[in-house]
Amino acid sequence: MSQIHFTINGIPCVCEEGMSILQAAKANGIEIPNLCNDESVRVYGACGLCAVEVTDDGRGKPVPKLLRACSAKPMEGYVVRMDTARVNQSRKIALELLMSDHTGDCRGPCQLNCPAGTDCQGYVKKIAQGDFRGAVEIIKQKIPLPAAIGRVCPHPCEQNCRRGLVEQPISIAFLKAHAADRDLAGNTYRPQPAADTGKRIAVVGGGPAGLTAAYFLRLKGHAVTVYDAAAKMGGMLRYGIPAYRLPKDLLDREIDEIARIGIDMKNGIRLGKDIILEQLRSEYDAVILATGAWSSMAMRVPGEDLAGVTGGIQFLHDISSGEGEIPDLRGKNIAVCGGGNTAMDACRTAIRCGAENVYVIYRRTRSEMPAEDIEIEESIEEGVTYKFLTNPAEIIGENGRVKQVKLQVMELGEPDASGRRSPVPVEGRFEYLDVDCVIMAIGQKPDTDGLDGVTLTKKGTVEADSATYLTNLENVYAIGDATNRGASIAIEAIGEAGRCAAVVDSALRGEMKPYRTPYFSRKTVTSADLADREKQPRCPMPARPAAERARDFAPVNLGFTDEEAMREAKRCLECGCHDYADCKLIRYAQAQEIHPERLAGVKHTAETERRLVCIERDQGKCILCGLCVRVCDEVAQRGILGLVGRGFPTVVKPEFSKPEVIEICKTCKKCADACQTGALRIIE
Amino acid sequence: MRIAVGQGSCGIAAGAQKVADALRTKLAGTGIPVGTVGCIGMCWLEPIVDLYDDDRKLLHRLVQVKPEDAEKIAKWTKTGEDSVLGDLLLAPEDAQFLEKQTRIALRNCGIIDPDSLQSALDAGAYSAIKKVLGGMSPEDVIECIKESGLAGRGGAGFPTWFKWNAARQSPGDEKYLICNADEGDPGAFMDRAVIESDPHTLIEGMLIGAYAIGAQEAIVYVRAEYPLAIRRLEHAIQEARQAGYIGKNILGSNFSCDFRIKAGAGAFVCGEETALIESLQGQRGMPRLKPPFPAAAGYWYKPSNINNVETYANVAWIISNGGAAFAAMGTEDSKGTKVFALTGKIRRGGLVEIPMGMTLRDVIFGIGGGIRDGKAFKAVQMGGPSGGCIPAELLDTVIDYKKLGATGAIMGSGGMVVMDEDTCMVSMAKFFLDFTAKESCGKCVHCRIGTKRMQEILTRIVEGSGQEGDIELLEELCGAIKDGALCGLGQTAPNPVLTTLRYFRSEFEAHIREKRCPAHACSDLLHYEIDADKCRGCTLCARKCPVYAISGEAKEPHKIDPNVCIRCGACYAACRFGAVKKL
Repeated sequence: MSQIHFTINGIPCVCEEGMSILQAAKANGIEIPNLCNDESVRVYGACGLCAVEVTDDGRGKPVPKLLRACSAKPMEGYVVRMDTARVNQSRKIALELLMSDHTGDCRGPCQLNCPAGTDCQGYVKKIAQGDFRGAVEIIKQKIPLPAAIGRVCPHPCEQNCRRGLVEQPISIAFLKAHAADRDLAGNTYRPQPAADTGKRIAVVGGGPAGLTAAYFLRLKGHAVTVYDAAAKMGGMLRYGIPAYRLPKDLLDREIDEIARIGIDMKNGIRLGKDIILEQLRSEYDAVILATGAWSSMAMRVPGEDLAGVTGGIQFLHDISSGEGEIPDLRGKNIAVCGGGNTAMDACRTAIRCGAENVYVIYRRTRSEMPAEDIEIEESIEEGVTYKFLTNPAEIIGENGRVKQVKLQVMELGEPDASGRRSPVPVEGRFEYLDVDCVIMAIGQKPDTDGLDGVTLTKKGTVEADSATYLTNLENVYAIGDATNRGASIAIEAIGEAGRCAAVVDSALRGEMKPYRTPYFSRKTVTSADLADREKQPRCPMPARPAAERARDFAPVNLGFTDEEAMREAKRCLECGCHDYADCKLIRYAQAQEIHPERLAGVKHTAETERRLVCIERDQGKCILCGLCVRVCDEVAQRGILGLVGRGFPTVVKPEFSKPEVIEICKTCKKCADACQTGALRIIE
Repeated sequence: MRIAVGQGSCGIAAGAQKVADALRTKLAGTGIPVGTVGCIGMCWLEPIVDLYDDDRKLLHRLVQVKPEDAEKIAKWTKTGEDSVLGDLLLAPEDAQFLEKQTRIALRNCGIIDPDSLQSALDAGAYSAIKKVLGGMSPEDVIECIKESGLAGRGGAGFPTWFKWNAARQSPGDEKYLICNADEGDPGAFMDRAVIESDPHTLIEGMLIGAYAIGAQEAIVYVRAEYPLAIRRLEHAIQEARQAGYIGKNILGSNFSCDFRIKAGAGAFVCGEETALIESLQGQRGMPRLKPPFPAAAGYWYKPSNINNVETYANVAWIISNGGAAFAAMGTEDSKGTKVFALTGKIRRGGLVEIPMGMTLRDVIFGIGGGIRDGKAFKAVQMGGPSGGCIPAELLDTVIDYKKLGATGAIMGSGGMVVMDEDTCMVSMAKFFLDFTAKESCGKCVHCRIGTKRMQEILTRIVEGSGQEGDIELLEELCGAIKDGALCGLGQTAPNPVLTTLRYFRSEFEAHIREKRCPAHACSDLLHYEIDADKCRGCTLCARKCPVYAISGEAKEPHKIDPNVCIRCGACYAACRFGAVKKL
C-alpha cells in the first residue's frame, strides 16, 4: 500500500491509501466534526458536519464541491481545509438546521437560570447518593464560596425548578449549603492550581466577585493578589449580610480555603488612597476591578439629611463590621424604606437590636416585593410591620433629628416595563408615622473614588464590555456590582467573575476569547406534562422559633441532617439530558456561534416511546443520523429498527414490538450505545 | 388502407379507445384494419386518428376525434371525399408543430404499433444491434457514442461514452445495465411516451449499452404510476426474447443479456441513480455517497451503468447512422436532439424533439404557438423542481447545456412548464419547494430540514406574514443546501427559488413589504371588489358566492363584504360584465 501525503489546515498528514479524509485526519490526531459516522458501520453521509474544502487537489486546482470527509479519500498533495468561511458556513447551517428540530433539554432549568451556570442537577444527584464531597467538587467549578452562597442566594435555580410544577421546587440552595458544610467539616476539597504561568494579576475588591475571579485565575496558574479596603475579605457577604443569615466564622473558613490555593490577600488597602490604579497597572499583567456598590441611593425627599436617617448598607455595615457596638435600639421606632433583600436584612437586624416597632415602607404590595418570600414571612413572624402602598414624601425632624415620616398613600396603576403594576399617588392622602430612625434601602450605587481614567456609565457605574469585561483601559477589567447595570445578587457577580477569569486567562495566554453565551437546546414543560408524578413535598428547613431568634444574631436556620438532604435531593426530576457530557451535537453547537431560532419552524414532538421496553426513545432528541438503524442492521445483524416516512416527518421506529423482539433488544442495546444525542436511553 | 388510433396514455385519457372501438364497429367487414399506435406528441389534439394508404403513406391526420366521428371516417373510406372529414383535419398551423421538429428518440412514436415487434422491425428496429454484433467491438461502440457527443438526457448531461467506458473498465465479470424510467419531474412525460410508443427502441439501445459495458443483465426501473408503459414494455421484452433479441447468445453471437422490469414505488428521489440502486436492491430509496460511482460499485456493489430512457432511445439511431450524423446536429457544446414536454399555459402543449441550438422562443412560440388565451408570457420552468425559471427577456437563450445553465436553470430531463402573467412566481417557487421537501428521502440534514425551512419561509411569504430579512435567509439557505446536500435532489432543490429571486425579486419584496401579490394569485393577499359602474345587478355573483358575502338588490350594484369573503374567486369567474375586480 502506498502512502498519501496531504495537509489539513496546513498540518502535514500521511495516511495509507484507501483511507477517508476523516480516518486519515484521526490517524494524524485531527478531529473533523461528524455525527453520523462510526467505524463499525458503513459510511452514511447524512449529517454533513464533516464537510471540508480542498483548496488544491495537488495539481494546483481547487475541488469545486465541498467534500464529505467521511467518504472522500485524500489524494497526494491535497490541501484540505476545515476552517474556510465556506466550510464554517456549511457546518453552521447544518447545526442550526439540526438544532431547529432538536428538543434536547440539554441542561436542567435550574442550571440555565443560575447566573453562574452551576450544574445544580449534577450536585443534587451527588447529594442524593450521599456523595457530599462529589457535590462540592461540582459546585466549586462555578462557586468557590458554596457555604455562603447556599445561605444567602435568592436561588433563581429554584424559581425555575420543574419540581415546582409538581408541588414545590427542590431546596437546591440549602442542599448546596449542606454539602459545603459537610466538606468544611473535614478533609476539605481543595483543587490544585495549574503550573505557574508567571503572569501576575491584581484584583481590587475581596467580595464574591473579586474572590471568585482570584480563585479561578489562581487555578489556571497565575499569581493573584486581592486588595480590599476593609479589614477582612468578603465584601458584601461579610458587611452587607447579617450574621443570622451567614455566620462570620463560616465565611472566614471559606475565604481561608480560597487563600490556601495560593492567593495573596491584602486588606486595609483602599484604591485611590493607599494605592493608585496606575501603579497596579504597571505592576501587574492584568487588573480586575471588583469594588462593589457601597453607597445607598438617596430617596430625594426633604429631610434626608436629618440625624437618624441612614442608608441600609451603612446600617448593616456598621453592625457587621463590629466597628462600634451593636446599637441599642430598644424602645425605638424604625422605618425601613424599600422592598428588596437589603430592606429585609435591615428590618430584621433592627428587630434584633431591640427596636420597639419596625416598619417596612413599600410603595406597592407584598406580591410586587422583590425580596424573597421566606424573608418577608420570617420578618413578619419576628414582628416587623408592613406599610404597603405608601411612599415617604418627607422626613420631618425636630431639633435636627428625625421625628416623623410623612407617607404618601399610593394605589396600583398600569403595569410598567418590568411587568409590575406601577404605584400612583392617591392625591391628597397622607399618613404620618412617628419614628426615631429612617433606613433607606432602595438601592445601592458604586463609590468610584480611585477609579481614575475609567469610563463610567450614565448611572455612575464602571463601563465594562459585556463579552470581554474590559474597561476603556488596556488590561483593566471590571466585574460585579460596580459595573454596568449596578448592584445585583452575589451569584450574578460570581458568574460574571468566573466568565471574566476565563477571558483574562485567554488574554494572558496570548489570544483573548471573549465570552459567548453557550447554546443550549431547551424544552418547555408544563404541569400537565408532569401530572403523573408522585407528590413528595419539599423538606422544610428547620429554623429556630421567631421569639428566640429575634433576640440574637445566631443563625435562623438549623440546617438539614444528611438524611433530610438526601431525601430532598432524591426529589429531583433530573430534567437535563442524561447524555449531555457525551453529546457530540451540543459540543459542536457550542463550538461556534449558532442561532437556530432564525430557522424556527415545525419540530418533531418531544415524546418518549417505549416500544422496545428496555430502551426509551425521545423523538425530540433524534437527529436521524441513522446510527441506531445501521448498528442494529450491520453490527447486531437484527434489522429491528427502520426509518419510517419521507422528508421532514421521517422517524426511526422498531419494526414490531413482539415479545421476541423485546427479548433480543434486552440483551443487545447496541443502538442505545451508538446514539449520539441521548435520544435513546437504556431503562434499567 | 390502414387506420391507426393514437393510444398513448394521453390519447386513451382523451377517449381514444372509444374512438377505436367505434371505428372497428363501423368498419367491420370492410377489411380495413384499425390499429394502435403510440403518442405522436400533439397532446392538445387527442384523440388522433391517422389514415394511411397501402404504401404506409400518411394521407390524413384527424384530430380531436369523437366516437360519433367514426361515421364520417367510414364514409371517407368509401368515397375518398376529404370534405366529409371537415374540421377533423389537422389545421395547417397545427401541423407546424411536427414540421419544425427533428425526431430521433421519438422517430417511431405515434407511427408504429408498440405492441407489434413486426411493426417495429418494419421501421428498422434491431438493425443496429445486428450491426454491432456483426463486427463491432465494445470499444468500437463506445467510440461511436463518443463521436456522437451523446450526453445523459436525464438532466445532468454527463457524456454517455464516459460512463459506459468507466463501467467497461471496472474490474469484474458481473455487471449491470440499468435504465432509469422513474421520470418524476412534475410536467415531464417524455420517457413514458417513448416506452408506450416505441419500447423496442429502448430495448435495442439498452442491448447495445449492455454489450458495450459487458453486462449480462439489463433492468428497467419504471415507476409504478406508468402501468401502460410497463405492460407494453413487458410485452415487447417477451416478443424480443422469443425472436432471439434477448437472452442467451443473441442473434447467434457470444453476447447474452437478459432483461427485466422493476416497478418503482413512486418516490421522486429514486430517480437519483444511487437511490434507484438502493430501491432495486429492496432497500429504502435513499442516495448513497459518491464516490464510489455506480460504474465502480453500483447494483449489489457491482459495476453498473445507468442512463435514462431518452439516452438509450438515441443509441440505435447513432449506431445505424454513425456518431458523426448525430454530432452534426446541435451546438458546439451540446450535440443531437432533445425531447421536451411542453406544458403549462402554452397554446400547443405536447412532446417536442428539436435539435440542440434552437432558442426557447423557437420552441415556445414557433412550435408551441405561444401563450393561451391571449395572455403574456412570463417565464418558463426548465428541469422541474431541480431546475429554474427563465424570464421573457431571456427567451432568445439557445437550448444547450451550458447556455441554459448560465441562466440558473438547467436543461433537465425535458420538462418545460410555461407560465403566463397570472402566475405568481413566489407561489411557483413554493410549489416546487413543497414538492422537494415532501420528496426528500430524509437522510441528509441540509435537504430534510433545509428544504422544510425554506418551504416554511415561502409559505409565510405567500400568506402575507413574510418578514424583512426572509429573502436574505432564503438565499443563505439556498447556498448552504446546494453546498451541503448529499445528492442531486437536495443540491438542486434551491434552484427554483434562486432563479425566481434572480429574475422576480420584486415580487418577493411586494409580498413581504407591501403584503401584495403582483400577479393577484395569492389568495391571502388579494381581495375582490365590485365596480359599481360596471355591475348590472344581475345577482349571478351573489348566487355563486358560497359564503353569502355578496349583497345587493336586483338591478342595483352589488357589494362584497370583505369580512365574510373567503377569496375563492367564484364571483370573479361568474361575472359576465367584468365588474368583479381582483385587487
